[in-house]
Amino acid sequence: MINLWVNGGRIAAWVGRSAFRSFIRQQSSGASSTASSAEEILHFGQLAPTWWDVRGPQRILHKMNLVRMDFVREVVLSQLKVGSETFIPGYNYHDMVSKPISQAIEKQISQDLQAKLSEKRLELLDVGCGGGIFAECAARLPYVSKVLGIDVTPECVEVAKAHSKLDPQLKDKLEYKMESLEKVPGQYDIVTCFEMLEHVDEPAAILRHAWQKVKPDGILVLSTINRGPLSWFTTIFVAENLLGLVPRGTHHLDKYINSAEISQWFQDEYPAAHKLLECKGTMYIPAKGWILHDQTDVGNYFMAFKKLA
Amino acid sequence: MPSFKRISTLHAPRLTFNMMESKGSSCFSVIDQDSCKDEMILKSRRLFQVAGFASKAAPKLTDVLIVGGGPAGLTLAAAIQTSPHLAGLSTTLVDAGDLKTKVAGFYDNPPSKFTNRVISLTSQSKRFLEETVGVRLMEERVQAFDGIYVTDGCSNGKLEMERESMGSMVEILNIQSSVLARINELNAENLEIIDKAKVVEIQSSDLLKPGSWPIVSLDNGQTFKTRLLIGCDGFNSPVRKFSHIESRGWFYNRFGVVATMKLDSSPFKIRGWQKFLPTGPIAHLPLPDDNATLVWSTTEPLSKLLLDITPEQFTLLVNAAFVLDDADMKYYYEQLHKGSITTQELKDDIKFRTEQVLATMNEDAFMDEIFPPTVTSVEEKSRARFPLKLSHADTYVSERVALVGDAAHTTHPLAGQGLNMGQGDVESLVKALEKGIQRGQDIGSLLALEPYWSERYPYNNMLLGVVDKLHKVYSTDFGPIVAARTLGLNLIDKLGPLKDTMMRTVSGPSRHD
Repeated sequence: MINLWVNGGRIAAWVGRSAFRSFIRQQSSGASSTASSAEEILHFGQLAPTWWDVRGPQRILHKMNLVRMDFVREVVLSQLKVGSETFIPGYNYHDMVSKPISQAIEKQISQDLQAKLSEKRLELLDVGCGGGIFAECAARLPYVSKVLGIDVTPECVEVAKAHSKLDPQLKDKLEYKMESLEKVPGQYDIVTCFEMLEHVDEPAAILRHAWQKVKPDGILVLSTINRGPLSWFTTIFVAENLLGLVPRGTHHLDKYINSAEISQWFQDEYPAAHKLLECKGTMYIPAKGWILHDQTDVGNYFMAFKKLA
Repeated sequence: MPSFKRISTLHAPRLTFNMMESKGSSCFSVIDQDSCKDEMILKSRRLFQVAGFASKAAPKLTDVLIVGGGPAGLTLAAAIQTSPHLAGLSTTLVDAGDLKTKVAGFYDNPPSKFTNRVISLTSQSKRFLEETVGVRLMEERVQAFDGIYVTDGCSNGKLEMERESMGSMVEILNIQSSVLARINELNAENLEIIDKAKVVEIQSSDLLKPGSWPIVSLDNGQTFKTRLLIGCDGFNSPVRKFSHIESRGWFYNRFGVVATMKLDSSPFKIRGWQKFLPTGPIAHLPLPDDNATLVWSTTEPLSKLLLDITPEQFTLLVNAAFVLDDADMKYYYEQLHKGSITTQELKDDIKFRTEQVLATMNEDAFMDEIFPPTVTSVEEKSRARFPLKLSHADTYVSERVALVGDAAHTTHPLAGQGLNMGQGDVESLVKALEKGIQRGQDIGSLLALEPYWSERYPYNNMLLGVVDKLHKVYSTDFGPIVAARTLGLNLIDKLGPLKDTMMRTVSGPSRHD
């Protein structure tokens, strides 16, 4: 126990250095490959067989996928405008009118947005799809017309392909490829990188390629983990070592990236071409599941960037 | 003075109680557990493949297959097709009965008399049916009541619960046919109702893959492959057996006797009356005008006696049960059982004793405040009985399966919660499915169904427990327990906030809350 604690202290001490330095280094090295290390590929290859067992080692990831879906929905909805026929009061109607009226206004707005949303036919690229937990759910959304999931771990892609065959609804909407990001042709309305940047050697290169795959007015959604003592404590010490919620060896603290570093990177690289739509922290509460919160510099977080046309 | 001994012959040899005796104990367990569970699942699923129809045609795909067209199953089908998020799901409902002509016909050509399967619908369940699902019940056959008057058959304990529109007495056929009318009105192209068809076989399409879709075969030759299989198929749920979910519980060794009754006049104060006799509670509940319905929970021999005696004798006993002492009632049961009393003698004796009781009452106690309206007759053939039991499934969901209503839980009718628990299940399941659809989840996956079970199980378990304890506390005439429960009942009667909380729990929040 003491040994672990000392290790934790040591990790916290060098956290600031290596990882951030490597993130910067990757920025400068620019156009290098987006491939993950051989060790990471091996690790996820071993996890592949239990990927879809919601009571198995990936349960926490399945649970996390629920908030991913909520976050994506929220972001996509935020880009829709209510039709002119729907009345939106110019004042704070939540406080100023009685509850039944404010609820009726809210209901009408949400119905209008829902109708607008159902007219959409978005194409989505999921980078680092793993066994397809997110890609399958995305493909079932009525406003998504096509999903391409890519990953560099062959076993995961096989698992994803096999599992998608269980649901006839996915037949023409969902495709998987074992391919690296830079080789994917075309552009997409939504590009997602969930729990992926912390597993690659050169996250900046991934971000750059992912951004190139986003259509003008499209959205890049990503999630990863802030580099800090709390992240080490929750994602590695508690989740992997103490409780075994996550398979051991899944995470490496020095690969974690702070949300502020990503914002800064976009500011440096694409100063006028991006807009940060939303940034939310997320945490796991036992017996309740994952929740979204506003503390974006601790633990896991989601970000959504819009590519300005 | 009639003594306790007279009744003892009735109590002594317990008559056979099929379902219970076959297990040799008062507990039942539908499926035995085995250390090698996976193998058991395989085995039982194979065993479940009833020999018979095996259609060669490729099964038809459906998103939701509901087995059972009772109130829960029909409400669920209508709620799915009413929900803006779920209406796109292809939904199939299968029922063995004649839904399309017999049940649906009740709405268009209602009989003049009331049917005997009547339940109390809480204001919460009624609101869900009417406002969320859009059902219009046949209001002229619904009787709202404003309270219930509970008394103890062994003491002077009483509890008077008053609450405007506390609940409504509704015939089950009214609910079923009104929901069917709503389904007709929706004219949903995604909903198919198949009646007069029995499920003969449920099997997994791939035993080795836990998430594979179940295949359901019907006796009319149709087969369905379904994303989500929902069991609204009652206590002996075939869906539950297929999914290998264990159900635990016990029989109460009591029967519920129901009847539809005519009153001497339409009551001024519309409320329910319940008296706890040592053999079980007798409840007298209002229907429109001069009609009322009865649920008399009692022992097996007594329930048989209540069905065997003439309608006139039955009517006399119902009136007597609310006024006279239990000792008097035991005497009448005994005489009727031996056939040693004529209807006229019974009538005269009850009249004499009732007048004695009324004479002792002080002047300011109005008779119609403490006794239910007098019954003048029972509808012909409306008397029936059913065994009372408690059961609760260990879980309501497994991969591709959800259980709703009696398939998941059954309860003693003393609190009138059975059907309402099923309606609550439907509301919660629909909520979970809507959330799942918005998140792009496979609605048959365990992850999408888990919120339903985690919301409903604790609440249902609490209700089942409370009702079970009430039954046990009131099924004795042992002095100290009678004293304690009388104190408890009278205490609750005088503690307003506690009484309100209880009423809110059983009937849902009022409109003012």
